[in-house]
Amino acid sequence: MAETKYIGKTIPSKEGARHATGRGLYTDDFTLPGMLHAVILRSPHAHARILKVDPQAAREPPGVFTVVTPEEIEKKTHPFKPGRYAAGLKKAIPEYAGAIGKVRYVGEPVAALAARTRGAAEDALELISVEYEPLPAVVDTAEAMRPTAPLLFEELGSNLAWKGSLHYGDVAAAFNQADKVVREHLKIHRYSSTPLEPFACIASFDAASKKLTVWVNAQVPEVIYDALREALGLEDVRVIIPDIGGGFGQKIHLIRKYVVLISLLAIESGRPVKWTEDRSEHMMAAGHSCAQEFDVEAAVKNDGTVLGLKFKEIDDVGGSISTLTIHFTNKLNNLSNTYRTKNIFLEGCSVVTNKCPVIPNRGIGKPGMCFIWERMMDRIAQELDLSPIEVRSINLVQPEEMPYTTPSGNIYDSGDYPALLKRALEKIGYEKLKAEQRREREQGRLLGIGVVIGVEPGGRNAARDMAIFPEMKESPGSGGVNGATIKIEKNGTVTLFLGSPNCGQSHETTTAQVAADILGVDPEHISTSTPFDSDLAPWGVAAANSGNNFHLYDIGAVHGAASRLREKILTLAAHVLNAKSEELAINAGVVQATGSPLKKISFAELGKIAYGNQALMPKGFEAGLQATFYYTFPHGEPNLVPGPEGLVRAQFTFSAGAHVAVVEVDKETGKVHVLRYLIVGDNGAVINPQVVNGQIYGSAAHGISVALGEGFVYNSDGQLLTLTLTDYGKSSTMETPRIEVEHRPSPSPFTTLGQKAAGEGAAIPSPAAIASAVEDALRPLGVRVRELPLSPEAVWKLMQEAVR
Amino acid sequence: MIPASFEYYSPTTLKEALDFLSSREDVKILAGGQSLVPLMKLRLAKPRTIVDLSRIPDLNYIREQGSRIVLGSMTTYEQIETSALLQAKCPLLPQTAAVVGDVQVRNQGTIGGSLAHADPAGDMPAAILTLAAEMKAIGPNGERWIRAEDFFVGLLTSALEPDEILTEVRVPALNGAKTAYLKAAQRAAGFAVVGVAVCLRLDQNGSCNNLAIGVTGVGDKVYRAEAVEKILLGKRLDANFIEQAAREVTRGVDVIEDINGSKEYRSHLAGVYTVRAVKAAMQA
Amino acid sequence: MKETIKVTVNGRTYVEDVEPRLLLSHFLRETVGLTGTHVGCVIGECGACTVILNGKLVKSCLLFAVQADGKEILTVEGLAANGTLHPIQKAFVEGYGLQCGYCTPGMILAAYYLLGKNPDPTEEDIRKGLAGNLCMCTGYMQIVEAVKEAAKQLKKA
Ligand SMILES: Cc1cc2nc3c(=O)[nH]c(=O)nc-3n(C[C@H](O)[C@H](O)[C@H](O)COP(=O)(O)OP(=O)(O)OC[C@H]3O[C@@H](n4cnc5c(N)ncnc54)[C@H](O)[C@@H]3O)c2cc1C
Ligand code: FES
Ligand code: FES
Repeated sequence: MAETKYIGKTIPSKEGARHATGRGLYTDDFTLPGMLHAVILRSPHAHARILKVDPQAAREPPGVFTVVTPEEIEKKTHPFKPGRYAAGLKKAIPEYAGAIGKVRYVGEPVAALAARTRGAAEDALELISVEYEPLPAVVDTAEAMRPTAPLLFEELGSNLAWKGSLHYGDVAAAFNQADKVVREHLKIHRYSSTPLEPFACIASFDAASKKLTVWVNAQVPEVIYDALREALGLEDVRVIIPDIGGGFGQKIHLIRKYVVLISLLAIESGRPVKWTEDRSEHMMAAGHSCAQEFDVEAAVKNDGTVLGLKFKEIDDVGGSISTLTIHFTNKLNNLSNTYRTKNIFLEGCSVVTNKCPVIPNRGIGKPGMCFIWERMMDRIAQELDLSPIEVRSINLVQPEEMPYTTPSGNIYDSGDYPALLKRALEKIGYEKLKAEQRREREQGRLLGIGVVIGVEPGGRNAARDMAIFPEMKESPGSGGVNGATIKIEKNGTVTLFLGSPNCGQSHETTTAQVAADILGVDPEHISTSTPFDSDLAPWGVAAANSGNNFHLYDIGAVHGAASRLREKILTLAAHVLNAKSEELAINAGVVQATGSPLKKISFAELGKIAYGNQALMPKGFEAGLQATFYYTFPHGEPNLVPGPEGLVRAQFTFSAGAHVAVVEVDKETGKVHVLRYLIVGDNGAVINPQVVNGQIYGSAAHGISVALGEGFVYNSDGQLLTLTLTDYGKSSTMETPRIEVEHRPSPSPFTTLGQKAAGEGAAIPSPAAIASAVEDALRPLGVRVRELPLSPEAVWKLMQEAVR
Repeated sequence: MIPASFEYYSPTTLKEALDFLSSREDVKILAGGQSLVPLMKLRLAKPRTIVDLSRIPDLNYIREQGSRIVLGSMTTYEQIETSALLQAKCPLLPQTAAVVGDVQVRNQGTIGGSLAHADPAGDMPAAILTLAAEMKAIGPNGERWIRAEDFFVGLLTSALEPDEILTEVRVPALNGAKTAYLKAAQRAAGFAVVGVAVCLRLDQNGSCNNLAIGVTGVGDKVYRAEAVEKILLGKRLDANFIEQAAREVTRGVDVIEDINGSKEYRSHLAGVYTVRAVKAAMQA
Repeated sequence: MKETIKVTVNGRTYVEDVEPRLLLSHFLRETVGLTGTHVGCVIGECGACTVILNGKLVKSCLLFAVQADGKEILTVEGLAANGTLHPIQKAFVEGYGLQCGYCTPGMILAAYYLLGKNPDPTEEDIRKGLAGNLCMCTGYMQIVEAVKEAAKQLKKA
């Protein structure tokens, strides 16, 4: 690539026009001949035994084709294999696509049926009668761990389904050498990203060939692929993933249950079956981010240096064992945040409760880890009477230490954290704001400034989990693989097959920019093949709209495939033009020999030769103009797989950002107004600034909304009270602040173009930034913020308690 | 998400509509549908018959009638919000309509539907109560006028009989009275956690000689904060005095509690918003 | 019992027999076959299904198709003329006022309605005008900016 004409620039969004004209194609937009419509019967109880399910009346109406009950689900499907997040279970617990024997959360699927129309299906659903024996619900982790608590899984003998710990460095020595130990108890609530498009799936089974095709808005094809094979014993499975109306992790895990149920209905009825979840179903059963509680201790020197950190985490994982440790294991990804602390101890407890199971959600556990660090930094500053900026600064990893190996084995590729912090303070006008704050306090206004910093890890490494479960029998794999295929068609157009689906992160645009620069064409002339189709796409395990994988695996694969294709083009062109391939340049789809204006040939002409004229090809040339490349991270060692000390690269690239929140608390109502929100970020070499900004704005807005009140609320019977987006407290344009972004990139030395991740980014530090700012605003009252969300009532209560 | 089946009628005269109401079982009136349709989609309401009022031509108007202004029950929030007549003569209605839900809801939701629905957190009911409006109901036995204070009976219950149609709302032209409606809104849809409507007059000395305060979101129905009105009436409204009086806003009210606010917080918030609404009205 | 209705969508008239319980959103998506109108909720809080009915911005999931009998509807598919994007659409595409695209049709129609009434909106006006349309992806920044840009372009035109 001689020069970058497109990489690094904002070009018009390639997927934009179809979305802006209503021509996006989402799963629910597809209709197959003879297609039936499915609905799911869900548990109204948080905890109950299923005594009897009588589907007879529901089978009678003429439009109803098939009803499946727990009995049939147990008979006709197999349980899922326990995945890497259930590896710590003492006893394997079979988990089926539907509830068997017992329901453990409100909304757990119990039965399903398919009928000619959605209306008829909903009518019939009311005719299924289920007899339940309600059991006492366990909704609180402390209650759940009492010896007398009702058990969710009798086989486990306890609701504490898993407990484990890890330590790095010499934690005891760190605490012995400390001038002071600072302690805090912190909490984060249940929330989710509530993608606007709920789950949707169409299943079609060809009984003759035993091939099952599903259209589904799943983020990770592998999960669906494996689930269908495990649960239905099918080998020939095709997963098609059309446009997805937002994912954020919600559409990775629990969606597999529904794909299995809908496929079962399709197999049983002999008809294609469509199912679209409704909003309230999504809220109760599609998965929540885990409520986490932390007991934290920091061993500090008087100058603010943090010698050691210990924390014990209690995770409220809800009514399933399949994602038991997901929020805890992810703490390894940003365990050190941006800091140099060498000695860290962490202990996790996963407690099952009668609530919705937890799932990966934008950042999974990492916002919690950042919350721990950043709350503690403020607390340490208060206890040592230092400025919070000073305490952070003294602990930051320095740019000259890059690449920096953290005590748990992560290798931070690049970054200048002190510069990010400094620039953020400069840009927000920190000193001036502080002075304003002092003045306004005298007038009774509660202004607060929160400054935090966080890393954003990118690129998966499944072997991470072996650090937590050394006894793991089956390797979860390591690193990641994803592919891309790129092709020049006979008429000269360029087609790109990505190895992964797209949930709205402009993958088509960004990959086209990369391919365009390598191939010397305009991105407008590159068409990306959609939807994702597992029969066609060159996909691997990292074909996942998750784990911040795209920048590493997809860009790596596209770069590799395009580079390969470029060589092929040049070989063929050199032969045809009778030139040396080093003399050739490509511009706007024309290969041109430098210095010889007449020696040129277009992609279309090359296409004609490559697909149809053997005589013009060089000897030994593989016909066609197509290249595929499967990417693995070439710098995966060391610590790709954890050794006996548990050192592991949990992820491979490390973006970072300094966040500043300026807030005003209404002293009468407790309502928090975000006056300014600034991010100075390092996302490595940026391929398309507007795309990266979009990810930052969106993830920051979500983190802020979470901090200020969006979230799930259960009552003491385990009934979910937040079934609508309104009750859940999603932010509209009116509650969402403007967000300012500045880029300070440090290109990664390890990645293809120096790029790093941007997808989860600002969701990681933003809850901490808001907490910090609100605490700062309430400083005159001596309030300590330990818990999210900071809803108006929560803040009002903090003020009330402080005054008392 | 799909409502249960029903039969649909869209009469073009009031008489036809009344006939449907009294001749069918389990009938529901459909106005803008912004409350009824969600309930039907959740299958919390499963009427067998729907009578749509939208094709009856003479239920949608805002007119001056002597010292009063009358509104047809099918008048939308948007029409109220943008009515020059109301802005001049009864600004509380536009002030209130402007903060209901969002653009789409205001374009479709009607004053009649909002009052008949009697949502304990509804905005319009608070304004109507504050204005001491009157509602005209027409039933099989003819028409009757219901005073606002008798109209809101309880949680989602109005004084309308199932076979009655609310056709008109009558409010006084205010001629210079000052009004405000303020609410602490939930996130996203903006339903009131607490909403306070105020209508007041000050004499030359700055004493308050006329005052009505309507409160929504706090009890199981909207109510007049009579205790506060009594304290402030006839007095000069200085800030401290208003604050003191506002503490009485929940006197005698069984304050509700839900995910948007505990009893304690709601009571406090009602006080804060009473102060803010009175002050806003004074400055209007 | 089915009702026969006559509805004009994007200038084309459809005469269809529908169940009274058929929601307008589903009528547009399934009967008329225009899937740009999306559905993201049950009780009408998300705005994904927003369309313009006889000139008014409404949520099509809170209306029955029978209520639209004799009326005219504009959906997102009716905005672009012969493949040329409407300036609002163009601003959304160029300014990244969309990510997953699920809220986009409703957002664009809300912006269209807003700019029709108020060609020169402040940021506050824009935020109020779009308050009934939730977006889970963008944090609204680039959407608000796209609407500003569209307003500028429309005034020029
Ligand atoms: C997203 C969203 C946000 C909202 N936010 C707010 C808010 O902030 N504040 C607020 O106050 N409200 C809010 N609402 C509710 C909205 O204001 C109600 O829709 C409105 O109050 C009802 O009016 P309608 O014309 O839509 O009535 P419908 O829904 O058609 O009817 C409501 C009830 O009244 C009955 N009815 C209607 N008209 C008559 C009549 N003329 N005579 C007798 N009975 C009748 C119906 O049978 C039904 O029981 C919101 C709604 C939505 C969907
Ligand atoms: S689908 Fe209509 S408002 Fe959400
Ligand atoms: S772009 Fe995804 S919901 Fe708005």
